[in-house]
Amino acid sequence: MDIALIGNPNTGKTSLFNNLTGSYEYVGNWSGVTVEKKVGQFKNKKDKLIDLPGIYSLNPLSKDEGVVTQFLLSEHVDKMINILDASQLERNLHLTIQLLEYGKPVVIGLNMVDVALKRGLQIEPNHLSNQIGIPLTPVIARTGKGCDLLAEAVTSERMSEPNARIVNYGIEIEEAILRFEQLLDNKSSRSARWLALQMFEGNQYVKKYVKNYIESEKLDQFLVEIKDTVKRSTGVSIDQFIFQKRKETIDQIMADAYIKREQIKTPLSEKIDAIVTNKILGLPIFFLLMYLMFMLTFDWLGFPLSDLLDAFITGTLSNTIENLLNAAGASAFIHSLILDGIVAGVGGVLVFVPQIFILFFFISLLEDSGYMARVALVMDRLMEAVGLNGKAFIPMMIGFGCNVPGIMAARTIETPKERLLTILLTPLMSCSARLPVYALFVGAFFVQQKAFIVLSLYILGIVVALVLAKLFSSTILKGETSFFVIELPPYRLPQFQALWRSTWDKGKGFVKKAGTFIFAGSVFIWLLSYIGPGGTDVALDDSYLAAIGGFIAPLFEPIGFNTWQAGASLITGFLAKEAIISTMNIIYFAPDEASLQGLLSDYFTPLAGYSFMVFILLYIPCLATVATIYKETGSKKWTAFSMGYALIIAYLLALIIYQGGRLLGFM
Amino acid sequence: MLGKLKKGEKCRILDISRIDLLVRRRLLDLGITEGTEVCIKCYMPFGGPIMVESCGQCIGIRRVEAVQIEVERL
Repeated sequence: MDIALIGNPNTGKTSLFNNLTGSYEYVGNWSGVTVEKKVGQFKNKKDKLIDLPGIYSLNPLSKDEGVVTQFLLSEHVDKMINILDASQLERNLHLTIQLLEYGKPVVIGLNMVDVALKRGLQIEPNHLSNQIGIPLTPVIARTGKGCDLLAEAVTSERMSEPNARIVNYGIEIEEAILRFEQLLDNKSSRSARWLALQMFEGNQYVKKYVKNYIESEKLDQFLVEIKDTVKRSTGVSIDQFIFQKRKETIDQIMADAYIKREQIKTPLSEKIDAIVTNKILGLPIFFLLMYLMFMLTFDWLGFPLSDLLDAFITGTLSNTIENLLNAAGASAFIHSLILDGIVAGVGGVLVFVPQIFILFFFISLLEDSGYMARVALVMDRLMEAVGLNGKAFIPMMIGFGCNVPGIMAARTIETPKERLLTILLTPLMSCSARLPVYALFVGAFFVQQKAFIVLSLYILGIVVALVLAKLFSSTILKGETSFFVIELPPYRLPQFQALWRSTWDKGKGFVKKAGTFIFAGSVFIWLLSYIGPGGTDVALDDSYLAAIGGFIAPLFEPIGFNTWQAGASLITGFLAKEAIISTMNIIYFAPDEASLQGLLSDYFTPLAGYSFMVFILLYIPCLATVATIYKETGSKKWTAFSMGYALIIAYLLALIIYQGGRLLGFM
Repeated sequence: MLGKLKKGEKCRILDISRIDLLVRRRLLDLGITEGTEVCIKCYMPFGGPIMVESCGQCIGIRRVEAVQIEVERL
């Protein structure tokens, strides 16, 4: 059986999904964590569970919401689990009614009963279940309590059809539904009642679907007629009328199932909000948190840990491997491939694992606590000034971890223009893969001010993104009104286990990439450096790698790094940003990070080093990001644009910094 | 008008028909419509959005929209 999991945003669908399937998907405390469908298997190994983005209604406003409607229109589903937030039952039930009208069996998982109780709302689960007419199981999605019962309820074979006529919409609409049924003439397998009501509400996805079965003109005429009829007889538009009718039904349900009590005390959430979204303190608190995050990642905690790991990899590990190779009598070729290629290339990247995990830990903390939505609120004024809205800041924050999920998160932005703009600009956020490059260079040139220099790069990325947003939104992406309404979820005390899982989930991608992509890349780069036009085992300057890098190197003369080594690493950096480090480790034959840093000062001046970092920050989205941009925009033109503008901006800024710096007398 | 009230004040919404359709749809999704009681939680600086609470849930909306919502003070 295929069972779909549907509910309002931020009601714990993904937590429930993880508990029901025993798998692990990404969860967070903000609306829009899940932007596409995910399929898992129930613990009984028979039935499939499909996790879908959160929606308020089946009539979508944004792209992630459209995923659900499209799913219900085009894919097979046997049953549905509707997860309800008990503390916001009223608005949650609007969706439940639409699901009942869809006509497939529905089971309710009632979540957050504890939150409701704290707000002084007690719910009678049995009464609620009787009123709606479908089975209901209380659950605590975060801990998994009640999930077994819910799984049992939904996977059991017998289940009656739900009451699709739970709401009576009055004579005009009910008759129109009957007429639509005749028009449709059983040509679609979806419930005609559901299709009709969705169209009356203005659901464009459903309308497009119905046009496959009914002539476009006929359908439009039918819709105009019913809209006029309702407007004339009720005085409100048809969508408002449908909403009112549903609300009447919900009020009846609520009257029976709800017991209102005294609210116990001011919720903690409101006390925290009074501080972090304070008029004066809001922005400073946000910047302070960011500063703490960077200091911990780069200075106080991250650097010492990375140094320890570096010492281990280049010391104990390399020695052990060398001894083993000697004992096995490996040839000079194998010897060089493993030590100078793989260990240098992969090890050079793995050294940065501690810093990257610390960064991911903080991003997970922001997401899980509920602070993320507040950041969007606090930043909205600034974002509005550049033609975006506060929600666009969330994809950018996620982009600090990795640009790919950042770009996906842009789906929650309702207006297409702002969404496209966010997709185009998120790659300017300095992702974790760029972090090793900074770490290496600040270690070589700016030991005293390392956290400050790195912070300056992150801020530069944000500033460039904002300036370009202003530029693009007032030139190529003009028009369309901006839109900002955001739900601010209550704060939750993050659970350590969930935090760790979330951190690990993000970080493991980095480790995995080191073991696969970077591994293969390192072998390839080493090979290019080992062979040349003159044969194998050539001097490095005569290798193919030097030839390729040297070919483009003169282009970088004006921005301070006319060496074939820099040229070669920039090319590999397109594949993955951390490949820059692998390449440099291999090229410079550096046995460890410290000696590579020593070597770098022969090739770069500090000013050229900073110019190089700025160039790396901006010059091109990595291959995976480019693929995601193409997938999300569906446009070759915008994908090419995202690469083109980045190159131009990177070159211009590096030029200004390098030449300007020289004029000012920096080296 | 919502948006002219002070922080901490409560009001009931009388008319939201003047605001943009998209915003109205989203507010409806969140359960905010004529007759809903809301409480002003805070104003962001420099004319930024305002945070309102209704039925225990907090929502951020822009001031341009807030001033188009007719309310009565409670």
